[in-house]
Order: sequence, then structure tokens, then C-alpha cells
Amino acid sequence: MKPTLNWLGDFIDLPTSDPEEIATALDSLGFKVESWERIQHRFSDVVIGRVLEVSPHPNADKVRLTKVDVGGEVLDIVCGAWNFGEGAVVPVAVPGAVLRGDFTIGERAIRGVTSYGMICSEQELELGEDATGIMVLDGDYPDAANRIGQPFESLLPVGDVVFDIEITSNRPDAMSVYGIARELAAYYDVPLRQPDFPLDVYNDEATTTVTILDEVACPRFVGREVHGITVGTSPHRMRARLIAAGVRPINNVVDASNYAMIEFGHPTHAFDRDRLGDTIVVRRAVDGEEVVTLDGVTRTLQTTDIVVADAKRPVAIAGIMGGADTEVSDDTDSALIEAAYWEPPSVLLTSKRFDLRSEASARFERGIDPEACRHAADRVAELLAANAGATIGGVVDSYPAPPTPAVIELPMSEIVRLLGVTVESAQATDLLTRLGFAVEGSDPLTVTVPTRRPDVGRPADLVEEIARLYGFENIPGRLRMGNGQGLPVAERRLRKLRSVMVGAGYHEALNFSFIGTADLDRLGLPDGDAARNAIRVVNPLREEEGVMRTTMLPGLLRAASLNVSRRIEDIQIFEIGKVFLPGSGKLPDQPDRLGFVAAGVRTAGWDRPDSGYDVYDATGLWETIAAAMDLPEPAVQPVQRAPFHPGRAAAVTIDGDIVGTVGEVDPAVASAMGLDGRVIAGEIDVAPLVIDRGPWVFSVPSQYPPQIFDLAFEVGEEVPAAKILDAINDTAGDLLERLEVFDVYAGESLGEGRKSIAVNLTLRAPDRTLSDEETAPLRRSIVAAVESATGGELRGSL
Amino acid sequence: MSIQEALDALRTDAPARVAAAADLEQLAAVEVETVGKRSVIAEGRRGLGAAPETDRKDLGRAINEVAIELESLIAIRRAELEQAAHAEALASDTVDVTLPGRAPKRGTIHIIQQALDEVVDIFVAMGYTVATGPEAETEYYNFTALNFPPAHPTRLEADTLYLDYGDVPEEILLRTHTPPMQARYMEEHDPPVYLVVPGRTYRSDPLDPTHSPVFHQVEGLAVDTDITFGDLKGVLEHFAREFLGSEAKVKFIPHYFPFTEPSAEMHVWHNGDWMELLGCGMVNPAVFEAVGYDPDEVTGFAFGMGADRLAMARHGITDLRHLFDPDLRSMEQYR
Repeated sequence: MKPTLNWLGDFIDLPTSDPEEIATALDSLGFKVESWERIQHRFSDVVIGRVLEVSPHPNADKVRLTKVDVGGEVLDIVCGAWNFGEGAVVPVAVPGAVLRGDFTIGERAIRGVTSYGMICSEQELELGEDATGIMVLDGDYPDAANRIGQPFESLLPVGDVVFDIEITSNRPDAMSVYGIARELAAYYDVPLRQPDFPLDVYNDEATTTVTILDEVACPRFVGREVHGITVGTSPHRMRARLIAAGVRPINNVVDASNYAMIEFGHPTHAFDRDRLGDTIVVRRAVDGEEVVTLDGVTRTLQTTDIVVADAKRPVAIAGIMGGADTEVSDDTDSALIEAAYWEPPSVLLTSKRFDLRSEASARFERGIDPEACRHAADRVAELLAANAGATIGGVVDSYPAPPTPAVIELPMSEIVRLLGVTVESAQATDLLTRLGFAVEGSDPLTVTVPTRRPDVGRPADLVEEIARLYGFENIPGRLRMGNGQGLPVAERRLRKLRSVMVGAGYHEALNFSFIGTADLDRLGLPDGDAARNAIRVVNPLREEEGVMRTTMLPGLLRAASLNVSRRIEDIQIFEIGKVFLPGSGKLPDQPDRLGFVAAGVRTAGWDRPDSGYDVYDATGLWETIAAAMDLPEPAVQPVQRAPFHPGRAAAVTIDGDIVGTVGEVDPAVASAMGLDGRVIAGEIDVAPLVIDRGPWVFSVPSQYPPQIFDLAFEVGEEVPAAKILDAINDTAGDLLERLEVFDVYAGESLGEGRKSIAVNLTLRAPDRTLSDEETAPLRRSIVAAVESATGGELRGSL
Repeated sequence: MSIQEALDALRTDAPARVAAAADLEQLAAVEVETVGKRSVIAEGRRGLGAAPETDRKDLGRAINEVAIELESLIAIRRAELEQAAHAEALASDTVDVTLPGRAPKRGTIHIIQQALDEVVDIFVAMGYTVATGPEAETEYYNFTALNFPPAHPTRLEADTLYLDYGDVPEEILLRTHTPPMQARYMEEHDPPVYLVVPGRTYRSDPLDPTHSPVFHQVEGLAVDTDITFGDLKGVLEHFAREFLGSEAKVKFIPHYFPFTEPSAEMHVWHNGDWMELLGCGMVNPAVFEAVGYDPDEVTGFAFGMGADRLAMARHGITDLRHLFDPDLRSMEQYR
């Protein structure tokens, strides 16, 4: 809503004209002022002048010579407009005047005749769009003729202010200048001026009849007839207000309807009475019925749409748009002004289906006041009488279903229960009455809700009304503590997981949860891969965001690629978020995943060589995560799974259950994304990482000396190291304190297809010093276990 | 020369030799000569048994005195020389410490996540717990249970993204806000409830400096037998001071949300202007009815805030798009 201070002044005498104060008042009423602006004129040295003489230009047909009295001086001005004659009072830009902020008017020769200034059009003064002729200061400015020589702006409203106000969707009653004025009147406790025009004097017999066939969709339909319309331009003042309100002036008929809507909030529609039958029917459309609307589009209707029809055909889609063949045109003489109440859901559904949402539909969708229909139609008729020379004819008012105003019992205890402050019943009554509620009794208050307030239906709604006027700032705050359940373990562990990633050098990204199917193609996923079964977004913003992500990898790889393209060398990025997978429940499965990617050059500093990332960085990260998160039996096993390198990726397991994949990305996938060199990535389910596993138990470090020794095994090159490590772990038992692989070697000395894996063991007992004699059998059984598990043999001797 | 004379000579002569030892090697040689096995001192000790019994005691004392004196001189000189040698070794091991150090790699937590965590922590400190909910949500929890009227512009204003899932069109959507979790949590838990819900939300708003189709909210809910609008104000004022500093100035202005009544926005004075920080209100009785709470028995307040905007306001970010652009030059700033 964009009312001006001046327009509000039609209905209320505000105790202040300070826009900032008024904005604060509106804010505290719940009508947030997004901004306010003083309407500035961007011209100077424009004065009121009177045309004394008009004569032809000696050298040109299209312009005329004028002598204009600008108060004590008569200027010769050459003028190209023809819509005035001698005696016309006009705005004159005298030499030195500035228009539009920077366009200076000087003396200049036009076809050999010097023009001393310019007679201005509305457009040149930025007061309207009319550039067809100059602005003649006639009926709109009755005082102008007495002010020859005075500044033109003295005729204009001084320093009017336009407020841009957000109206929440529950307050259709405030979508008007009058509605805003009503709220301000309640706030300042000053009278609200009732609209001042004769409502009941024009009660001629109407020539139209109205039958409402669906009283739910249309509980009221008012038609006011007007005759003898002369379509033309609306008065300046009206157009200026419409422009300020953000509505483009069209002509005096359309403007009257728009003006009345902005003023009182109730949309109306004007039919050309002569093109309309005499019997109006309001009904549901027939499936497949067609109507050509004002915009020239043929609309196919269905039974959920409500239409205004005459005996032959629909003439309007109710509350949304009129029909083309009953539209008011330049030669319209008589009109029927419709002001009806249309049921909000029907209007919403139909306007949404046709994508025809407008200022009018916005009001019907929220619910206007059925009681105001008659008033709205009469206001338009009155404006047409004033501005279009119309005479007001008969009225037809079909009101089969007047609403019963809601009556709410409000116990005074409810106010303190919800607000925490005690409001006396007399004060509550006063506040509600100021807002137009009728109040009886003292406790409970029996409150009758005006029909314009569909949002008020419960005691809590009345408490809000009281609170708004009482002032939220007058309700004291109280710091109320909760019942102390705190951060759940899984949340705490999730934070720890994040800090582990940060400690490992990874930066957290937040990628969108949607991807494109092309992203899945780029991963090289085989047909039938579960990750290809992505849930489609019905109304995506972009095709690249057409499906919900089934894996974290596309976003992360794109992030890596983007950094490479920006010449950033060392890339380590992670993300924790949901993927969306078809499931068996009503909702998709939405597990949280940890994803990571690392690529590029791992810079080591100025004195050491740089390196890259490879699979062991990925598995190592898993080891760090597993250790930090205290995961039971973490392990890895080779896996072949797109988009990973089939020979350099591992499934990661907890207690034998696979919970994710880490490793190098298939070079073909990486290079398709603009990533050179080895790129590592991983994706792991978050739930098993963060579930509450209880507190870990301390084990006392032994104070006794260890036995530390190396073993090297020669095995077939296909033998995984895990076999050796598992055999040692299983055999060494509790004495094994530490086990490290320190060398892997394959070379000619071992022969084709052989490799050597060397490990370093630390054995230590908690309660004694181990002797060689004691551990000798254990060493032998460790070697035997490894040899038997791998088919390899110990290099050297024990 | 008698032993005594030799000792006297040594006593006179040795300190200068000790002092003259220029390095540890020379000092070792001096040590051998003066107190070593062939020294006058060792000789004297060996000869003590042969000395007349009357002299033996005095002579022994004299030998020991000289020995102790010389040994301590040598020890002091050794310490000096060791100190000097150490200093020299360190001096020759000097490097340019202004060259860049080897900093361990340091990652960062996204500032939106930091904001979410920080908001959550402030409420946890006030005795709230935390829950998260599904992002793909039913139309029922996103709208109906929250008292959004059917076929009302409020639903359209939410600019909802729908998923092609299940059999009923427009039933499964990407939640447009976090309050659906209010309803889910209340269905599962009896009052009292003191809850915050951090999470990701969605709208069909194209990405621009102030909008994103993906954004993040923290929802809060307090339900008990005697919660008032005064509690709402007190708790949220406290939050603002914790998050923005003890000087934070706030105001509450009426607003509209279908699921709260009365509803308000809390604005804070930030960088010379009022900034909308969060929406809030008393839980609408219709929501209590939808989840099976008795609105005559309990009252409550709810609030929701955009974590993205909190992060932006605090760190001087004016374009939302930076938060969703995984440029490491941005992320490395997320201290």
C-alpha cells in the first residue's frame, strides 16, 4: 500500500505531519513502513502564466507564437501545442528554469523567431504521462487564474509524503487509504471522517436484474448504473494520487475504479451497460465454456470458476478479469459498476490457474468486506459523476447471504495469560472500540467483530488487537529459563565431526541440495545405480537444479573445479548435508552425509617439495575420523564403485558394515570436471559416525619397557596388507601396543609378482617386563599366522 | 724437590694453566697434568704411606686442599668452555625466522553453520534442547498443521518447491520454513517443551544478492503452563544481547504468521538502522489443537530467524551469493 499523507488527510487529522513519527506509529500497529519518500518536484522557475495572444508562426505550420503574461512581464514564446487558446492559464518555464533536475530552459530561436521560455506539459513537469498538449490550469486548479506570476508549485500539494507500507496477508481491510487511516485514528485516538458522499439519494429503478445461483461463492452483488459518461482524462490531483500509489492513470472511468479501490479497498468492475444483457446471473462456469478477457486472451473455464454472465454468455471471470466484449470503451455511454464479494478460495484458485493475479484479486483472495459493496459501487459512480459528466442511475443490490458478524467472549484472564500484563476491562474495551469492535460486558467482554476483519475469530486474536494498541513496548520482558535438556549427544558429536574435518585442513562448503541429471551423468554412474534414482523437483528454478541430490559428490567436485578455474591451487573442501533417496515411507529417506574432496597441489612450504593428494590421504582421513569419533572396528576394503577409481578406492566399514566410500576419483570423471592430477573424495553416512556410543574407557599406559621389533614378509603382490595386519592383530592379542607398516617394496630382487611388506611391532605388558623367552613363542606364532594367511614368508629370521 | 715444594709450585702455577686452556681438549690435557694419575697430587697420595707418621696427616690435608682447589677450577673452566662451545654451535645454527613457518593446515566451519551453532548454544544455555527435522516435508506439516488457511495467498507467498514423490500431487515439498518441526516435536513429546531447531529451508526464489532458493533458519519453541508474551520478549531480548553484544537495542512490532497469535517481528539496531532479526509470537491455539495439546492448559511462544542473514550482518557481507559460492578465498576467511 502506498498512501500519501495528503490522501490520509481526507479521513483523519493526524496530530503530527512528521513522516518518521507516522512511520513509527504504523510500525507499532503492525503495518511495517518499508520506506517513505517526500514527493519532490524536479523543476524550478516555473510560474503561472496567462496566454494573452496566439498568432501563427511566419515560417512554420506546426508551431504558434504566443504572448504570455508571467506577472509584470509578457514573454514571447513559441509553442507546439494546440490544446489552448487566448486566456488559458498555463505553467511557464521562464528563461533560466530547470526541468527534470538538469534541463535548463533558455532563450532560443525557433524557425527565426526567438522563444523566451516554454509552456509546459504534464510530462515535462513529471506530473503525469500526458505529453499531447500543454497543461491547462482550468477546473482542477480554480485558484490558478488569481495567481499569475506566482510559482507554479504553489498550486501543488506541498511536500506530500508517500509511505510504502507492507500489509500482511491477514489484513485485507487495511489494503486501502481509508483502512490505514482507520488504524491511525485508533492509534492516536482521533476521529475518523466517514466518507462524505450521498449514498442513498440515487435509488432509481435499475434496468438490470441480478440472480445469484451460488450464494457461497457470491453472497453479495451490487450493480450501480451510470449514464451519459464522457470518457476523458481524470483530474490532475486524482492522477497524481494514483501515480503515487503506483497505479498508472488510464482514463476517467478506469481511474475512478482504481481510485475507489485504493481509497476504500474494494475492487469494482465497470461493464458497458449497452453491450450487456438485462439479466445478470452469477454462477459456476460450465466445463469448457469460453470467455475472451480484457487482455484479448480466450480463457477456457471449468466448474470451479465463478462467472458473471448475462443470458447469453459469461461477461467476466468473477473477481479476476472482465470480458472483452463488454469492456468500457471511448464511446461508452452507460455503465454498470459491479461491486461484489467473491469467496476467497475460488478467486485464488482461478487466478492462480490463469496466472492472473492483480491488485483486485489480491484483495478478493484475502477477503474484503461484503458490507462495503454498495459503498464501493456508489463511490465509483460518484467519481464518474464528478469527473466524467455522468448521471447516476439505478442500483441493484442482491444480498442473499449477509454475513453474521462473529461474536467472541473474551475473559479478562486470557489477556494476562497470553501477555503477562494485566489490562483493565475498561481499557481493553476502549482499545477494541477504537478499532471498530463492538464491546459489551466487563468480564468476559462480549465482542462483536466487524465484517471487514475475517482474521479475528478467537480470543487470542482479540488479545493481539489489544496488545497492538497497548503497545508491545509496554509489556515487560521476563527471562524465562527452559527445563535444561541441553544439546543431544548426536548433535555434540556432529560438531566434533566438523571439527575433525577442520583439523584435517578441510573447509566447509554449503552447496545447494538440488543438482541436475547431467551432474549424475558426469559421475559416470552405471544405469541402475541407486544414485541415479533422483527425486524430481516439480517446479525447479533451473534445469541444472532439477532433481534432489542423491550424493554429495557433484556439488563438491563442482566446488573443486570452480576453485581450479579461479587458479586456487590447494583444495580441501567438505560438506555435511542431506541426500534425498526414494524410500518406503511417506517422505523420501533423507540421511545426512559427510562428503569431502581434495585436489590440486598440497603446498609444503618454501623448503620442501609440494605433493598431491592420493588414496592414502582419503583412507588416512577415514582413520583420523574413526579414531576421533571412537568408532568400533573401523576398516577399509577395496571397492569398485563409480565415480571412484576402481583400483584406488575403499569402502569404509564400522563393525563390518559399509558406511561409505573414500578414494581417488576416476581420472576420466575428474578431467571432465576440469580437474587434473589425482583427486580424492569420499562420502560417508553421518548417523553411524555420530550416534551415542557412550563414554570411552581409559586404559592405563604401562610403565614397563616394551619389546620393539620389525618383521618383513614377502608375499604375492595381490595380497592386501590388511591380511598381514589382521593376522598380527588377531594373534598378538593384548600385548600388541602398536603396529605400523613402515616399508612396502617390490623390486627385481624379489622376483616378478612379489612384494615385501615390513611392519614394526611394539609389544608391552601392563604388569611386567617382557623377556625374550616369554615373547619368543608369540613371535613365532605371529609369523606363522601371517604366513598361513598370506601364503608368503618371513624375510630373514626371527 | 719435596712433595710439599712440588705442591706449592703446582698451586702457584696451575690456576694460570687452567685459565689458559682455550678449549675443552686443552683443558683435558691440563687436567691430566695437574690432577691426573701422573700428577704431583697423585704421586703425593701414593707416597703418603711412606711418609713419616707425624707428617702424614698434614701432608694428606695439603694434597687434598690443592686437589680440591684445582678440580673446582677445572670444573668452572669446563663449564665456561662448554657454555662458549654451545653458544658457538647455536650461533652457527641461526636461520632467518622471518621466513614463513610451516603452519599446520587449518580448515574452517562455514559461517552459516557457525551462526546456527552459536544461536543454538545461546538457547541451550537457557535450558533448551535441540532437534532437527526432515527437509522434504509434507504439505500437512509445512502448512495445514501450522494453521495456514487452505487456498489462501499465504500459501502462495511461501513460493514452495514441490517434489515429484508419492501419489498425491503437491503433497511432498521442500519445507519453506522450520516451524513444521514445532508440530512434529509436540506430537512426539508432552509439554513442557523448550526446543530449538536449526535447519535448511527452501523457496523458489532465484539466487540474487538478497535471496536464495536454499537458506537456513533456527526455529524456537517454548511451551509450558504459564508462558506469556513477556517471556517471549525477555528470552529474545536476552538472545539479542548474547548474539550481538550487551548494548544491543531491540524493538518488537506486530506482524502476522498463521501459527502465532499475537505475532511480532523483533528488530535490532544495527549499523545505524533497524534490522529485522526474527519473527516470533505466541503459539496459535489452532496449532496446539492440531498437535493434541489443550490450548486452555498450555501457552507458548515460537520464533524463527534466518541464520544466513545473521552471518551476513555480523561479518559485513552484503551479497548472499558469497555464502553459497564455495570459493576457498571466501572460506579461508571463515575464522
